Amino acid sequence: MNKELEHQFVTELENNQNIVHKVCSLYTNDRDAHNDLFQEITIQLWKAYPKFRGDSKFSTWMYRVALNTAITLYRKSKKRVKTQDYDSVIFKIKADEYDNTQEQQLKLMYNAIRQLGDIEKALVFLYLEDKNYTEISETLGITEVNARVKMNRVKNKLRTILNP
Amino acid sequence: MMDELELLKKDWQKQGEQLPKLSYDDIYKMIWKKSSSLVKWIFYICIAEFLFWIIISVLPMNSGEITGKGADFVKATDWVLQITFFLVIIYFGYQFYQNYKKISVTDSARDLMKKIIKTRKTVMQYVWFNVGLFALTMVVVLLEVLVFDPPKELMERISTADSTLLAWLAVGVFFAISIAFFGLLFWLFYRLLYGILLKRLNENYRELKKLEV
Repeated sequence: MNKELEHQFVTELENNQNIVHKVCSLYTNDRDAHNDLFQEITIQLWKAYPKFRGDSKFSTWMYRVALNTAITLYRKSKKRVKTQDYDSVIFKIKADEYDNTQEQQLKLMYNAIRQLGDIEKALVFLYLEDKNYTEISETLGITEVNARVKMNRVKNKLRTILNP
Repeated sequence: MMDELELLKKDWQKQGEQLPKLSYDDIYKMIWKKSSSLVKWIFYICIAEFLFWIIISVLPMNSGEITGKGADFVKATDWVLQITFFLVIIYFGYQFYQNYKKISVTDSARDLMKKIIKTRKTVMQYVWFNVGLFALTMVVVLLEVLVFDPPKELMERISTADSTLLAWLAVGVFFAISIAFFGLLFWLFYRLLYGILLKRLNENYRELKKLEV
């Protein structure tokens, strides 16, 4: 195996690992599953890396592989979160940064997102990562118009979950 | 609502320092681990299906050699079935490999799912073909036995029965029921196997497709 390629890949992933961690925390509900999914995404990224030509940014390319792995390829831990007892680092909000209502609001939002379906989660994730609709539609394989329509529906759904 | 989402977005993008941090070595070790992805599972199951039906077809069906006036016809029928079977195996094997090769994790979510479903479909067709061929073979063997080499005991019973027609009907019903029983077992097995394996994929694919309407 090509040592230089290995080094290049691991360095790139080390620098961009936050993206993968965020995907893992959205789609899993405990630390073990998080690590498991992280590993599977890493393997998939590495297998696809020789074909990565650099015509897009490494991070852009990562979104696609990471989401595809989380949504479609990942097999272990099929349990979906319905109740909220996940204490992953990701959803801990520092109390001193917000006033109480804001903190409360955010917690509710995160809980609501964890109750969404796989595709809806991907949509919200890309939105939170500040991706535009062109990129969102290309990642999911739907048209831009449909991405917008779906995003609005998801927002409505979140609203219903927050105010039943 | 928009305000809440904007607030969430800000919070989301700030979370960097709270995320786990893996070292270079941690990641390096991971790239040599084995994948346990859905595609891998499907690949192995499909290979197992191919092998299963090849083995079934190679197993000798009838124990005794048929001699007499019908032997040539029987042999010819068996040959045709065998040759058809192997040609079809080659065709499906090629199709399966072509579809499998096209599966790429860098596709859009929808294309990836579509290609997995297509690969799966090829093998499903292969399985249905085999079930059909298997049923056909059973019927051929049954007819061969009844016409050319009928079991004496059965024939005696039928000839001594009150109604010959009724006796033949009973034999027919018995075979129909056993074929239906095996069919049901087979169907249940497939429902279970692919129900578990592809449930999530099918749900997500349906959700994406629904967006197109």
